[in-house]
This record gives sequence, C-alpha cells and structure tokens, in this order.
Amino acid sequence: MGGGIWVVGEVDAAGALTKLSGEAATAARALGEAGSREVTGVVVVAEPDGAAASLAAFLSTVLAVRAPEMADRAASAVVAARIVALAAAAQERPAYFVLGATPDGRDLAGMLSVLLEIGVLVNATGLTWDAAADGVPAGPRVEMQPFGGRVLTSSGFTGECGIILLRPNMVTAEPLAEPGSVEERTPGEVLDLPPVRVIERVVTESPGPSIEEARVIVAGGRGVGGPDGFAGLRELAGLLGGAVGASRAAVDAGWIDYATQIGQTGKTVKPAVYLAFGVSGAIQHKVGMQTAETIIAVDRDPDAPIGEFADLFVVADLAAVVPALAAALRARAG
Amino acid sequence: MVAASALGRLTDDQRAIRDAVRTLARERVAPRAAEIDRSAEFPEDLRVLLAEQGILGLPFPERHGGLGADLLTVCLAIEALSAACATTGLILAVQVLGALPLLLAGSEEQLGRFVPALASGRDLVAFALTEADAGSDAAAIRTRAVRDGETYVISGTKRFISHGSVASLVTVFAVTDPEADRHRRISAFVVETASPGFTVSRLEHKMGIRGSPTAELAFDEVRVPAANLLGAEGDGFGLAMRTLDRSRPGIAAQAVGIAQGALDVAAAYAGQRRQFGKVIGEFQLVQGLLADMDARTEAARQLLYTACEEIERGAPDAGRWSALCKLVAGDAAMAVTTDAVQVLGGYGYLDDFPVERMMRDAKITQLYEGTQQIQRLVIARALLAHKP
Amino acid sequence: MRIVVLVKPVPDPGEERLGDDGRLDRSVTAVINGNDEYVLEAALKLVEAHGGDVTLLSMAPAGVTDPIRKALAMGATRAVLVSDPTLAGACSWSTTQVLAAALRTLEYDLVLAGADTSDGGGGIVAAGVATLLALPYLSHARRIEPLDGGVRVERLSAAGHDVLEATLPAVVVGTQLLGEPRYPSLRGIMGARAKEIAVRTLAEIGLADRPVGGAHATTALRATRQPAPRGSGRVVRDLDPVAAASAIVDFLVERRAI
Repeated sequence: MGGGIWVVGEVDAAGALTKLSGEAATAARALGEAGSREVTGVVVVAEPDGAAASLAAFLSTVLAVRAPEMADRAASAVVAARIVALAAAAQERPAYFVLGATPDGRDLAGMLSVLLEIGVLVNATGLTWDAAADGVPAGPRVEMQPFGGRVLTSSGFTGECGIILLRPNMVTAEPLAEPGSVEERTPGEVLDLPPVRVIERVVTESPGPSIEEARVIVAGGRGVGGPDGFAGLRELAGLLGGAVGASRAAVDAGWIDYATQIGQTGKTVKPAVYLAFGVSGAIQHKVGMQTAETIIAVDRDPDAPIGEFADLFVVADLAAVVPALAAALRARAG
Repeated sequence: MVAASALGRLTDDQRAIRDAVRTLARERVAPRAAEIDRSAEFPEDLRVLLAEQGILGLPFPERHGGLGADLLTVCLAIEALSAACATTGLILAVQVLGALPLLLAGSEEQLGRFVPALASGRDLVAFALTEADAGSDAAAIRTRAVRDGETYVISGTKRFISHGSVASLVTVFAVTDPEADRHRRISAFVVETASPGFTVSRLEHKMGIRGSPTAELAFDEVRVPAANLLGAEGDGFGLAMRTLDRSRPGIAAQAVGIAQGALDVAAAYAGQRRQFGKVIGEFQLVQGLLADMDARTEAARQLLYTACEEIERGAPDAGRWSALCKLVAGDAAMAVTTDAVQVLGGYGYLDDFPVERMMRDAKITQLYEGTQQIQRLVIARALLAHKP
Repeated sequence: MRIVVLVKPVPDPGEERLGDDGRLDRSVTAVINGNDEYVLEAALKLVEAHGGDVTLLSMAPAGVTDPIRKALAMGATRAVLVSDPTLAGACSWSTTQVLAAALRTLEYDLVLAGADTSDGGGGIVAAGVATLLALPYLSHARRIEPLDGGVRVERLSAAGHDVLEATLPAVVVGTQLLGEPRYPSLRGIMGARAKEIAVRTLAEIGLADRPVGGAHATTALRATRQPAPRGSGRVVRDLDPVAAASAIVDFLVERRAI
C-alpha cells in the first residue's frame, strides 16, 4: 500500500463541519478504495471535538488536533504547521491531501505545497483513480473545467503525491454505515510560521438558506437595474423557499452583497432550479452555475448568452415579469 | 474597429491611445449613450471622465499641461468615442475647435493664462463665429467689438454655438472695422462667460447629438480686456478659416466613428437574427449592404488619416484635405447609418437599438463646420487656384 | 510604503484555448488577470495616500509585455519580469519558488496579489510565497490599511469578515471588493513607455540549479476534451408579463420544482 490520503476538514463560524468537508471526505474515500490507500480525516481547530465527530461520519479514522491559538489567529498558518508536524510524525507520510476549494482551503494548499514540496491541482470537479500505465504512475485523476467550462481537462501528479482542491457541490456527501473513530493528537515540533492576529470577527447574518445549499436560487444581474430590483427577486426567493444570488456585474455595481456572487470569483452552486433575471450569462458567471439541474432565464436581450444554455429562456422585460411571477406564485400558494 | 490595414501607419503611442479610448468608450460611454440622447442633457459625468483620463488634454501643448498629441491622435480619440456616442465624441471635437484660434494665434502669455484649465479639462471652450444670418457666409457677421481704452466692448448675438451653455470660455469673432475689406473686418477674442452682459439666450432642440447643448449667445456690451485679442485686429477671418482647416478632420473623425459604430451593430445583428430559417447575414442582399458599409467607412477613415498627416506636415492645400475628409466621411456616416437601420429592419427604427440614434447623429456631420456644399466649394477653389 | 504587486498575464477571458500540446495557447491576447488589477488599484491608492512606490512582479514569456505596460500605465513605478525558456509549462509549485526568489532580490514592505486567476489558477501561489519568505500571510482582503509598522486587513469570511493584523513586511491577497481598478490615463499610457521592465533570468534570481520549470512540473495534464453542449432549451418571446409568468410557473411544475 502506498501513502495514504488525508482529508482536512473545515469548520464554519459556529465551529461545525462544512458540507463541503463531507463531500471531500466522500470523494477521498472513493479514491482510497480504488487505489487501496488508507483515508484519514484531520481537523485542526480550537475546539475540534464536534467537527471531528462529524467528519468521522464519513471516514473510519479522524485525527483531532486542538489548536487553542486559533481563537485569535488566522487559520491557515496554524493549520499548515500542525499538519506538517502530524505528517512528519505519521508512520507513513500521507501522499495525497483532499481539501475544499474554499478561501481557507486555497491558503492551506499554498502553504502545504511549499512546506511538503508537493504539487496542487485546484478546482477539481471530479476525482477518479488511475492505475499505472505507460510510464505514468498510479494516482488520482483530477477533472477540471478551466476557462469557464469551455474545456474539460484531466490531470494528475508526476511525483505520486499532491494536494487536490475540490469544488463544492461536485460530489454528494455519503456517510459511512458505521461512523469511524476520532483520535486526538498533539503533534510536537510545530513549525513557527509568522502569526496573523484576528482582532475581530464580524458576522453579518443573512436570512434564508445559504446559496451553496439552496434548492432554488433566484439570481439577478446587470439587467435588474439597481438595488430596488433585488427587492422583487428577494420576494420571489421567499415564495420559492430559495436564496438570492447575483452576477458579478450586480455586485460590482454595489446593488447587492458580495456574499451572493455566483461565478468564477464567487460561489459555485448546484441548485435544483436556477432562475436568472437580467443575467447575461457571461462565461465567468456560467462556471458557477452551469451544473444547476434546471436553468430558467429571463432577459430583455434575445441575444444574451444565457439563452444558449438555459432550459427555458423568456425574452421579456424583467420589471413586468418579476411582479407577475410573484403574483402567480402567490396565487398558487393560495 | 480599425481594420488591420490601418495599423501600419499608426505609431505605438497612437495605437495605445486609440485602444485605451476605445475601451473607455465601450465600457463607460456606450452604456450612457441612449440615456444621453433621450434626456438631451449634457453628460457632465462623461466630461469629467474625459478630463480625468487626459483625453481633453490631448490637443494642448505639454508645456501648458496638455499631452501635445498630433491631429491624427486627437482624431483617433474622437473616432473611438463617437463609435459609442456622438455627443461624447463631440466634447473633444468642440474643445479642439474652440481652442484652435488660441493655439494658432495666441501669445505665450495668453496660452499660459487660458490653456492649463482647458488642458486639464476643468474648463470647456466654445467657438462662436456663426450668426443667424451668417452661416456659410461667415464674413457677413454683425457682432461688433469696439475698442474702449484697454478693453473691447462686444455686442451682438451668436447662434448654433456648440457647448455655448457649458463652456467657461468662448472664442468670439466680431467686427472691429466695418469699413475694412470683407476679410479684414473681423477680429477674434477670448471671452470668459462669467463676464457681465454675457447670456445664453436660447437652447436649440435638435434631431441628433441631443446631449450636446447648442446655444444662442447674447453679448450685451460685454467688456473684454484688450489682452484677450487673438493676433492683430483684422486677423479674425483668416484665423477662423485656418481653425476650420484643422477642426474639420475632427468632425470627419466623429463621422467615421458613428459609421463604424453602426456597422458593428448591423454586423452583429445580421449574425444573430434569423429569418426564413437562417441568420440574415447569410442572405446576399444583406451581405451586399454590409460590404458596402464597410468599404465606405474604411475609405473615409483612410482619407481622414491621410488628411491629418497632410495637415500636420503643413501641406499648402490643408484646406482641401480637411474639406475632402469631412465631405467623404460625413456622406459615409449618413449612408452607413441609413443602411444599418435597413439591416435591422423594423427593429432598426425602434430606440431599442442604437442605429436610429446613430442615423440622426450622422446627419449633423453633413451640416456643421461647413455644409457639404461648402466643402465642395473649398475643394473646387483649391483645384482652380492651381490652374494657370 | 514600497509595494510589490504580483501580476499574472492571462489570456483574455472568454478567448482562452489550449494548444495542441495541451498547454495554454499564449498566442491569444494577454491581459492582466482581473483580480490582480483590483490589488494594483489598492496598491496605487495606498502609495497615493501614504507615499512610496509600486513594483510589478510577473513571471511570463519575455514577449508578453503589453499587459505589463498597461499595469505600468495605471501608475506602477517599474516592473520586474522573470522570464526563462525553461519556465514554459511551470506548475504552481515552480511559480511559487520563482516569485519568492525574485522577491528576495527586491526591497518591499508589502506584497500584494489577486485572489484566483481567470486562467484556472487557484490563488494558491501567494500563500506559498509568504511561507517560503517567512512572511505573515493575510488573504481574501476586502480592505487593506497600513498601521505603524504593520497592516490591517478585513478578510471576507463565510459569515461576514474578520479583522486581521500583522507586522510588515507581509503578503496580502485581495479580492474585487478592494474597489474598481482605474482606467490608465492617456498621460499614464504615454509615460509607461519610458518605464523600466527589468527582465530577469532564473540565474539572475539565484535559481539556476533548482528543479523548477516545465521539466520539473509536479502536475501533468493527461487529457482534454470539449464539454458536451448543454443544448439550448425552449425560448419564449413576445408574451405579455402575465403569460410569461405562467410559462415560467408551468415549466417549474413540469420540472417538479414546485
């Protein structure tokens, strides 16, 4: 058996394991089965017990590392130093890491890459295991969709080790029949990386489901015309039990929060229904929502690129259709 | 888009400036164009943008805060802006027109006094020659300037003055010696619009370039320091003609820009619109329209660029070159925008698409800074003057 | 404040394609990566307010100077371009080594980089650079302000933002929320021609004998393919608003979404 696969779990502001961590664990488990590699979860946070237990729902072994300084330190350097120490102390150094393609995951991957001298493949949309063939060693085969999904690529690592960043909503998280066990570890000889102090954590609550998890997303773009236009979309989202999303154009215009931005520089979403209003469907937006099961677009411009990949494309004036649709949905709800 | 054939003649700086202005026009000006036309309000925000980006500084000497660009570079900027919005292209073209008498005849003291605020784009300057009864016959103006000690007292009314209501300075042409020979009667003055006695007496409602204010200016005994006289008394008419020799290419550039803007819309539309089961661009009658539009636009552009080079190098027949390019470009703009509406069919007639606006805007390029008939007159005179 | 901004020339978004060798086709017009322009804007504002200068640092083929010139035209003082034929096909690990080595030859208080790149880069290089240089690393910034001897950053978090502080020199990765990049002024464009773009080889930054570059890539492209077209769906037009709304509702019912 070669070196194992480590899945680094990530927690949200409340300290709970993120949905993406479960997806990463599920993807890594499949890799481990195919490649006969052991898969281990790692959770490094100030209070790891809850999140480690959650990760153990997906993996037979989870290492929980208590890092009290994370209460007031930026995470990446703290986590990277602990993982390097854990890996050095392990019986066999892990060969592969699977992380979520989140800001924290990227930071951690960049640091681990130079500390462990291994490569990184970012924004994976799928993972399979390649057997050795034609002088190429066995290892993970990483599917990616660069350039807004206009090309699909498969890549691998040249040195039988590497870090994979998995995009959200690419894999359905599947728990084990029997949850695994959590082992607390306290690595010694932890690297001293330069500290970054957290002075304050500001929480800005947003009501309703988060856009990564919503079944229905009502998204607005430049065509919405202004912040007032988003009020109508919020009402629709409320009626459909969904969340409001936005294109970069709308966010850049200051009409709505960055947290709602979908696309290359924003969130990647995979809702059952994606309702786009006044979203042109530029490639940078498409990459964040193209895996939605059903895409419905309303735009005044019959030539908007979104018309080329929407399942239903309504060419119409948003200002009139949004209230009419709200009225129709209210009427249905009785 | 400037075709590849035009690239060879442009310097790296000219290309870089054209590309930068084109980006700005596409991203910041084009989205405002329909609203500017609808509201018929001067786009002060875009004036500020052009000022901040240094575009309004292009025609002014570097020693007075400008960029010292040559005529072709200025025209490239006007062309790029006008492809998105003719009103915005005109902001630069009028700044050139209004400032040219100062740049051509101003003393170093006058340049130092007036140019920095123009080059920074803080102040706009208008050109006031035309009167209600003196349009094509410019020498027939009646506005008077009477010397009184160290000042001149200006009285009269100017009409069709672009930017007359938004400019801080106006270059005013007025009669100083009614008895002199027809071409020695007139002198040019720089007048500050804050001067007592200056009023904007009327704003015109126009068919096109609707965001560009066209004013009637009333001068009621406006006192102007004698130090604001450009050149010598009696130089005015010659100065006005030399100004137009250099400013008409700016109008030709506006026309080429409008034509290109319309061609781009028509070509994109023809590649998308489907009728009888295929995109209309596959129909040869539509292809013929598009090809003719491109040929006319490119021919006008190449003539304009050549004219700029000839005028810049001091060609003795500068007036002919400037009239040639304005004549050809103005007619090209009118024809190309009309055809663009044709390519779009009924949709072209709606304000949902920009081509009807472009067609209305194009018309002015056949009228101002000398009608097309006057251009022909200028060209013919140059031809006949060369004959024994 | 002396700021180095890491800038990456990328293919004009929407125009990218892979060449026959599976690598990026560099003949496509190159532009500065969008996020890098946002951090450059932030850097220019910082030096306008607090003094100092901005140096651009880039790793790219020697011919790719147009996007660097544009960044100089926006107001950067000078540029350093690490360019070496062996770097073609370099992976992110190599890129990290190269940028860190180049930074060792420069003087700076702050290194800024954009979050991910539009050509598929993952926004991981700056974290590695900070680690190699043993500098504090602050990422995902929506706001950057200097402190006495330090820097304060508002970092976007899943729930809002965190306020972070570290000592200088430091590496900060910024997002688009730093504010729209300026257009280069015409004066800036004309002035940029006179600015220096210093081209450095691997030997000149002390990496001559290190295993970096395309021949030592840690990752390899195995295959590429075109995505299956999603297939355009139904198009509805020329309906009044109520009819359009009911077309949407019918479709939602048909797809069992409501």
